[in-house]
Amino acid sequence: MITLQHWLVLSGMVFTLGLCGVMMRRNVILVLMSIEIMLNAANLALVAFNKHLVVAPGAPVPADGQVLVFFTIAVAAAEVAVALVIAMLLFRRLDTVNVDDVANLRW
Amino acid sequence: MEALVFWIAAAAMVAFTLLTISSRNPVYSACFMILSFAATAALFVLLDAYLIAAVEVLVYAGAIMVLFLFVIMLVNLRESEHEGLRLNPLMVLAAGTFLALMTRAVQDLGPAVGPQPNALQGSPGLLADTLFTRYVVPFEAVSLLLLAAILGTVVLSRRKEDA
Repeated sequence: MITLQHWLVLSGMVFTLGLCGVMMRRNVILVLMSIEIMLNAANLALVAFNKHLVVAPGAPVPADGQVLVFFTIAVAAAEVAVALVIAMLLFRRLDTVNVDDVANLRW
Repeated sequence: MEALVFWIAAAAMVAFTLLTISSRNPVYSACFMILSFAATAALFVLLDAYLIAAVEVLVYAGAIMVLFLFVIMLVNLRESEHEGLRLNPLMVLAAGTFLALMTRAVQDLGPAVGPQPNALQGSPGLLADTLFTRYVVPFEAVSLLLLAAILGTVVLSRRKEDA
């Protein structure tokens, strides 16, 4: 029997892997991909919660979790487009995609 | 049967995600990520989210990953610049603690809730109903956000001399 807990632990595991990617990779494109992994893990949790919502008999079927996933995907697409352009500009101006080489704004 | 599909797809998702973040070659990373999205789509089907599964494959595995591959090819790193995970004990500890906390928090959800047997949940009609009634304002906001993203991309990628 697959319960809500199974889904949430799976989502947590994938989210943690994404977190590891953000912290431990130095290539800015890989960091962005790790952020996508984290968003995707959150999507999985949203859909799982939606599936396991307990509603009163006769009440309308909820689809709010799945609608929220649509918004997440749209926001992720917008974010990736802008972030990848920034990565391209980084490469064009500084000839690097290594986040350690781009520390100009550090105190 | 459902449990079997869950375990296979879940194992594939975790394994491919691990390969994504640990591959030395960014192109391999992108390919593994497409496979991990395919596993995620299978999991969405298991959760009766059929439309979401289709959108996952079309938008994530299709459009977004092609964008990533484009940029990886354009940047075209030299072989010597490839590097894998840089393991740092502190970061591993932080990630491990996070996962442990998440797992612990989930245990407090109370008795295990079984899935609601309602195949209607994933039907495009119901999704459209919810999206265009209760969520119509956020929907319009997202369309503005996408417009802003397009304009931002165009402005950012314009070369100096065109300005």
